[in-house]
Amino acid sequence: MFTWIVKLGRKFAMLGVLALLGALLCATMIRFAPGYGADERELDSRLSQESRDAIRSEYGATETLPHYYRRYVSGLLRGNLGTSVFLQRPVAQLLWERAPLTARTVGFGLLAAWIGSSILGLLAIRFPNAMLNYSAMALTGFLIALPAAVIALLFVFWRAPVFLGIALVTFPKLYRYQHNLLTQAQSQPFAFAARTRGVSENRILFRHVIPLVWAPVLALVGVSSSMAFGAAIPLEALSDSPGMGQLAWQAALNRDLPLLTSITLCVTVLTVGVNFLADAIGQRKSS
Amino acid sequence: MIQRVFRGVSWSILAIVFACTLFAEGFTHYPYARQFRELPNAAPSTIHLLGTDDLGRDLFARVVYGTRVSLLLAPAAALLATAIAAVLGGLAGLRGGRLESLILACADLLMSLPLLFVLIALRAFLPLGISPLLSVVATFVTLGLLGWPSSLRVVCAASRNLRQSDHMLLARATGYSNTQLLFRQVIPNLRPIFLAQFWISIPLFILTEATLSMLGLGVMEPLPSWGNLLRGCEDFGAMSANPWRLVPLLLLVITVICFQLILHSSEEPA
Repeated sequence: MFTWIVKLGRKFAMLGVLALLGALLCATMIRFAPGYGADERELDSRLSQESRDAIRSEYGATETLPHYYRRYVSGLLRGNLGTSVFLQRPVAQLLWERAPLTARTVGFGLLAAWIGSSILGLLAIRFPNAMLNYSAMALTGFLIALPAAVIALLFVFWRAPVFLGIALVTFPKLYRYQHNLLTQAQSQPFAFAARTRGVSENRILFRHVIPLVWAPVLALVGVSSSMAFGAAIPLEALSDSPGMGQLAWQAALNRDLPLLTSITLCVTVLTVGVNFLADAIGQRKSS
Repeated sequence: MIQRVFRGVSWSILAIVFACTLFAEGFTHYPYARQFRELPNAAPSTIHLLGTDDLGRDLFARVVYGTRVSLLLAPAAALLATAIAAVLGGLAGLRGGRLESLILACADLLMSLPLLFVLIALRAFLPLGISPLLSVVATFVTLGLLGWPSSLRVVCAASRNLRQSDHMLLARATGYSNTQLLFRQVIPNLRPIFLAQFWISIPLFILTEATLSMLGLGVMEPLPSWGNLLRGCEDFGAMSANPWRLVPLLLLVITVICFQLILHSSEEPA
């Protein structure tokens, strides 16, 4: 138990280092992006040189690079993520307003996808049937072949909730992975031996096969959260759902780098954190 | 048997689609950007096989040239991603130790990032008013540069197994350097794995490009691609009145399913 807590602590210390590196990368992207420090107000010929200098110093265009990094990281530590160029509002405030909706959408979407894929996966393994297997393969194959943005448009057309769109994007990948894991585990010699000794199929599945695939399936929680956040961008953007995905899309279209890099940093820290946690729990279960 | 039939049909469809893209000029005599201003939103006819779009451009020509952009550049991005995975994965498996842990940690980190967020952040880093051709290159180079981690894990595992083999021991004994080992022994021996990873990456990149272009962050107009042709789907009224405009979506879905069927049938035991 103690070793596991130490490992978990190490993982989260690493997450802190990664967040810092990510913040520095974001700062570098903003600082060296074409057009940094330029403001259209500078084009106003009525402004004096002092006024133009004041505008430039407002953007920090004249400060040195180490000073810029120090200001950016210390701002981040105080919860100051800068100001959105496009919406002219503090980024932290925008994220605070939009995050609950995206968290709810992604959370419900993932829940629906996991329930659907687990039930279908277990049914396909417990009642092996060529028809069911081919139907499931055809359905998941078709869903994988649809771009997330097309699914978003279909959901706008049907006026369906956005979380179901996220479920539809993540479900086929989850099903295929779970099905492969369960099929491999069920064809292991121990399952064959149990069958020859007359152990029931239900008992083999729930007492022997599922505990074996538990750890790799749990590791998939992290990957699926990253897939769901990725799917949230087209779904929220095209369904006009005011979440973080839509905000990221608007920021990209308006080239609002402070806003876009802050959203990416927050989502990255969240998905990497979930991945680390899922890995750590998976290791604990398998040990 | 069914697998073999599916595989044959998939190969045939892909061959036809690829032939259309390679010899696009032979299939349509209209340039993709030419406007017939007197014929906006025209219905299919013998002159315009799929009608025209709202700017009066021939839709069939745009689909053929759009297929060329999507289908020729997705393999290019897949080639870049596979090359990065081959070199880094081969090196990690060959050297082992801290280098392997470091490369695998980087790959794990990249795999856990939401790809679309990182892609649009990188895309937004470029100026918005870039030329259409540059937007194509930027989109597919970014996809290639971010799409290697899952392939790397497979290559690294195979390369690690190869490290213990007799012929590698012999090559080391004859004085091969690590670079020679990588390029003369590891990479040629792992060719089937690279090929599989290359095939897996193509449909993934086609779909990502489609989503990016539908959001207005991929290939720029007037250059067509499957993604920006699908932007027309946002207008439901026009779509239900002109269902032939769904042809790019149909082509995309069929192509991706063909790739899946080929991959799936090659995974099945003979």
